[in-house]
Amino acid sequence: MLLGAMGGGMYVPAVVGLGLNPNTLNKNYQPKQPIPYSHELHVGQLGMDCTYCHTSVNNAAFAAVPPVETCITCHNPADGSGVKKTSPKLEPLHRAVQPYLDAATGYPTHEPGTEDAPNPRNPDQGKPIEWIKVHDIADYAYFSHQAHVTKGVSCVSCHGRVDRMGEEGVYQVENLSMGWCIDCHRAPEKHLRPPEEVTNLAWTPLDDEEVIAAIKAGTIKEGDVDAAQLLVGLRVKEQYNVHNAAYMQACSTCHR
Amino acid sequence: MIESTPTANDDLQGRRYWRSLHEYSNSPELLEKIAQEFPDYDPDELLGMSRRKFMKLAGASMALAGLTLTGCRRWPKEKVVAHNARPEGTLPGVPEMYASMVQRNGVAHGVFVTSFDGRPIHVAGNPLHPIVGDPKRYAEGDLKMGAADAFTIASILDMYDPDRSRSVYRYSGQDGVRDRKRSTWADFEEATADLNADAKIAVLSEANAGPAFVDVKKRFLKHFPNATWTTWEPLHRDNEIRGSALAFGQPMRAQYDVSKAMTLASFDSNFLGDHAAAAKHARGWAKNRKSCDEGVMSRVYAVGSALDQTSSNADVHMQVKPSAIPAMLEALASAIGVSGLEVTPDLDDAQSFFVEKLAKDLKANQGASLVVVGPGQPASVHALAWSINETLGNLGQTVSLTEEPAAEGGLYVDGIANLVDQMSAGEIDTLLILGGNPVFDAPADLGFAAALGEVGNSVHLGLYENETSASCDWHLPEAHYLETWGDGRAWDGTICLQQPLIEPLFGGKSAIEVLAMLSGDEATQGYDLVRRAWTPAIKAGQYDVSTSSWPGGPIDTSAERAWRAAVHDGLLAGTAFPVVSAKTRGARPTGISVTHQDLQLCFRQDPKTYDGRYANNGWLQEVPELITKMTWDNPAWISVDDALKYELENGDVVKIAVEFDNKSRGEIECAVFITPGQAPGVVVLTLGQGRSYGGRIARGVGFNTYPLRGSGNQSLAYSAELEKTGKTHPLASTSIHHLIDTSKLGPNALSGGKDRGGADAIAAWGMDKRVGKKPGDEGKLIKQASLERYKLDLKKPGQKSFANDDAHGDLSLQLYDAPLADEFAQRAVELKKRAEEMVAAGELDAELVEGWEPADQFNDKHAWGMSIDMTACMGCGACVVACQSENNIPIVGKDQVMMSREMHWGRIDTYYRGKPEATRNFKLDKKDEDVVDAVHMPVSCVHCENAPCEQVCPVAATVHDTEGLNTMVYNRCIGTRYCSNNCPYKVRRFNYFDYHSKLDSDSFRNTREPGGISNNPWLKMPDQQPGDVIDQIRRMVFNPDVTVRMRGVMEKCTYCTQRITRAKIEAKARWAEDLTAGKDVADYPYVQEGDIVTACAAACATEAITFGDLNDPKSKVAQLQNKNKRTYMLLDELNTRPRTKHMGLVRNPVKA
Repeated sequence: MLLGAMGGGMYVPAVVGLGLNPNTLNKNYQPKQPIPYSHELHVGQLGMDCTYCHTSVNNAAFAAVPPVETCITCHNPADGSGVKKTSPKLEPLHRAVQPYLDAATGYPTHEPGTEDAPNPRNPDQGKPIEWIKVHDIADYAYFSHQAHVTKGVSCVSCHGRVDRMGEEGVYQVENLSMGWCIDCHRAPEKHLRPPEEVTNLAWTPLDDEEVIAAIKAGTIKEGDVDAAQLLVGLRVKEQYNVHNAAYMQACSTCHR
Repeated sequence: MIESTPTANDDLQGRRYWRSLHEYSNSPELLEKIAQEFPDYDPDELLGMSRRKFMKLAGASMALAGLTLTGCRRWPKEKVVAHNARPEGTLPGVPEMYASMVQRNGVAHGVFVTSFDGRPIHVAGNPLHPIVGDPKRYAEGDLKMGAADAFTIASILDMYDPDRSRSVYRYSGQDGVRDRKRSTWADFEEATADLNADAKIAVLSEANAGPAFVDVKKRFLKHFPNATWTTWEPLHRDNEIRGSALAFGQPMRAQYDVSKAMTLASFDSNFLGDHAAAAKHARGWAKNRKSCDEGVMSRVYAVGSALDQTSSNADVHMQVKPSAIPAMLEALASAIGVSGLEVTPDLDDAQSFFVEKLAKDLKANQGASLVVVGPGQPASVHALAWSINETLGNLGQTVSLTEEPAAEGGLYVDGIANLVDQMSAGEIDTLLILGGNPVFDAPADLGFAAALGEVGNSVHLGLYENETSASCDWHLPEAHYLETWGDGRAWDGTICLQQPLIEPLFGGKSAIEVLAMLSGDEATQGYDLVRRAWTPAIKAGQYDVSTSSWPGGPIDTSAERAWRAAVHDGLLAGTAFPVVSAKTRGARPTGISVTHQDLQLCFRQDPKTYDGRYANNGWLQEVPELITKMTWDNPAWISVDDALKYELENGDVVKIAVEFDNKSRGEIECAVFITPGQAPGVVVLTLGQGRSYGGRIARGVGFNTYPLRGSGNQSLAYSAELEKTGKTHPLASTSIHHLIDTSKLGPNALSGGKDRGGADAIAAWGMDKRVGKKPGDEGKLIKQASLERYKLDLKKPGQKSFANDDAHGDLSLQLYDAPLADEFAQRAVELKKRAEEMVAAGELDAELVEGWEPADQFNDKHAWGMSIDMTACMGCGACVVACQSENNIPIVGKDQVMMSREMHWGRIDTYYRGKPEATRNFKLDKKDEDVVDAVHMPVSCVHCENAPCEQVCPVAATVHDTEGLNTMVYNRCIGTRYCSNNCPYKVRRFNYFDYHSKLDSDSFRNTREPGGISNNPWLKMPDQQPGDVIDQIRRMVFNPDVTVRMRGVMEKCTYCTQRITRAKIEAKARWAEDLTAGKDVADYPYVQEGDIVTACAAACATEAITFGDLNDPKSKVAQLQNKNKRTYMLLDELNTRPRTKHMGLVRNPVKA
């Protein structure tokens, strides 16, 4: 009896503690998406850049999911050479785009709704694709892609190797907890890279010219990734005037 | 209460400034209220709960928590719904601004509307608009945003109002048992299809001077030759129009240039507040007030019935009965030598004094003065004012004349009287009411509602179903101005464009679309109607409706370019009415002679509902009125003398009755509120409250005063009866809420006379410091001086003046230094050094840097600060509403306001000095003490560098950031409320409930019956999370950049931190991108002056609020805080080091 109470006394906090841990709650979250889009195929194998679709990362807080017209540039169902145009997996895409196709050119138009084309407000047609948000931080925290990406925080730092995530969908690699955010805000040099390499998910600091020179000169040991990252990170931090730790940890940086 | 009101209490302790009659008299009620930090919060309510009930509730909430935990893995799933085809130039999540306009009373006000992913969320003024903005200063970069008044800002809430009419409705049956059926536009079209050219149609429309409206009206009248057209607006300007017609032989519109006037006289006119061009007047007024820093200042005289925005800011004001004003103007006319006038008006001493001083000033400022008469005064008074302005040489200088579009269809009252006659005689088959609410607001003696019953088929188009639609056969939903194309003309005649930002939410149509539909116009959409009507204005050829284009196609013609420029600017520049010159036909006496014995009524525009149209707008209902700080009500204002005479207290319900010209009577019951400085024998009533139909918020708020308003003189009643009923009505005035200086009530006042040792010693010390020891001491809250006194200060070097000569300065002795103080001080030295280097290199003006001290605490690249100029603040409250809109601030309802729980982050404290029963602010002789005056002081979080709130928060939920913001972290706050307790400025607001969702629950509104607060929300409120219950429509108005606060957290002004962050990220990201692209980047980007405008500062017409970077020597705010002599810190003796600094009030009084 006593043992049971003691056991319970330990068990309950342990379950609650582990259950509420951001690692449990958030990591590896992988919802099923309406289209089994494979980043592995498009980015990993075909070599498309992240910003080809997520165009707004340099200009907006929100990394926009591409409009259907972006997909249609290759997957046009009305175009004879449209890629995979008969695939049932692309059905939501076709349903979304159908009324927007210009009869003459076969490409989407911005002004739908002529007599021949179906009414875009018909709920069954022209319905946009409803993707499920994977990386979803709390509403009381503000995050801006623009502020991070332009200063050399790579996609991979938060989203992981998306270029290796296949048809089963994107999943959450980091826990996106406040402690995790603050880790980087305290020492951004551990994650910064030259902004032109931000979307190069395979980049390592060992690729950096300065690092190569330093290895040659013997100031950094061959293969010492941490030292190489520090060298690159501190350089980028200086170059891009990345703020001091006090500023980056101020509450108003993320909460308003 | 009243027994103690009018005479000064012995305990007064030299207080010269007071905020309410309660405070003036040290009433026990007040002492009790302010002894508690959270008034009317009753912990006994909780203690009174039985243990069993507590366990039950606690158990239930535990179970609920358990369910929630096991039920979901994480928070609700969110979807990303991307465009199918993204409109060119848009980026998801990036706000955009569009120019549009809002029309009231036939005058267009230009607006800039912020839109988030196609969802308009915030309305501000259009800086290119000639009235609310200033195109010239905008081009120079001096003015970022135009002004917007509270109505304009709050108008966006109407669009997302769940109570808006959502469908066409068909009403049938007799009064009382009206049957209401849902219908469709198609049904309505079918029902009106048989209207032919012979149809006897009458149109009753709101005023609209826009070219499209005029064009559609012309086409409609051509299609229905037997139709008649009447325009009705309850806040019409018939008196003004008749007055100018009397003076010049034809109606003219006055265009005042207040900025050129050094002597201004207002005769019953609130030209700074209620006028359609008030924003322009206020800007001009402020220019000649702020110039006190150069030793020059205008002098404003105002005479009216009660204090208002103009008179409470005037240098010389007095309150008289409305009937006494014509005589004063006649006396003025004689005194300045208007020819052809032989009158010997009978004035009392104070009136003679006023007229004498005014005449002297006017004569000294010929051509640079202005006499303005308010719309309430009869036409002959207006005509006489024109003669005075002509004699003074002001015509063409401070006032110019243009045509008056409102005069086109004759006087409004005559028009509606004719219409009612025709309706009663059965001469009208179909009545089309386009907007408005004539059943509610038509002159009471006409019997509009009864006549409406005689009309065969009546149709009402409106944003809401209201009293009028309930009496009509059809109700049509009107489109909101942000949902449809339209146009209008600004006060100066500039053609403005109403650009929609969203599709009609509820399938509404605009008035022009309905007219076009009925007259079988080929154009049916507002877009085509406006473009077609604008063809001559933009000098294009024939407009083709079928292709929506002018000749040359839609792409790049001069017409298209002109149209696109107009869409971009929201107006068509250069289309103002041409100024005409005219001469008056000679002065004549006003011919007004009424006995002054009777009780007189004075009707005013309602500060919350305008004329009734905004009655369902919670933001407006809850914004405190300027003088009484009244929310959710419109009590009749009475003077202290009348309160004694009729034995009335605040909240007593009286019966007011008048007899109309046709001998019928109007009668209402209405609560009273005793108002300082009001003339005895006058009752001031505002129009538009007391709605019986028209939305959940509107219904039952306040008192309907329209039944007292006859068709004679619509703004005044020279004879009325008042009778006490014995009933009472609870009133929610915020005048004694959040009093800064509780200690000034005297030692031991808060402990009910018990000695509390140290606490009271501190209180007494504070009182001495802030209020002064001797009777008549000024205290340290309000800093006020005359221009003459200030001129002496100006002669001295340094920054010392009346406002800060008793300032404490920095306290060097502290228990501990601020963290990293040395480092910050070092940085300040570096900043200063850098600025000096820039001066040496010629990059910076030496004058700017001289005397500039960078802030040395919490220092980073920027140090944000704000200056509030009390000389320029008129107290209008637009900033309060702008803040509410920008920062997702909830309304709380009347009962909660009565518990001091209003959530506004900013407030306007109005302080009075003198005697509440006095009716003027000037002394007739040196010993005269019979004066009263008002001062408006905006207060929101001052962002203390040494913040008392931060020191007591147990969870560090309120802390400083490196740029000096006192930040508030909602997700960390656990609601101890210690911070609010420790805040000397009383600017923190606590979410007792999920107020946003509360609005949608039935318990939001409860009895406003006599007897006060009847419900106890503590236990009745279900535990609700906002996300689940806020109305889907209403939540669309939220600013997505600002957290929607939940129950149990504290909040306060953040200096619009979301706007700061946006500007910073934008500037830095652009710089970083250029650097990455290998472009030549000069220096690290500081956010430039003017990149950040807080919502309050943007709304302010007088630019009394300045926000900016204290570390930038070029910024306006750094200049003001470091150089302006009037700058002082509120409660500086507490060493809080506020980042918001006030600037002392300078007025230009007359000497006895």
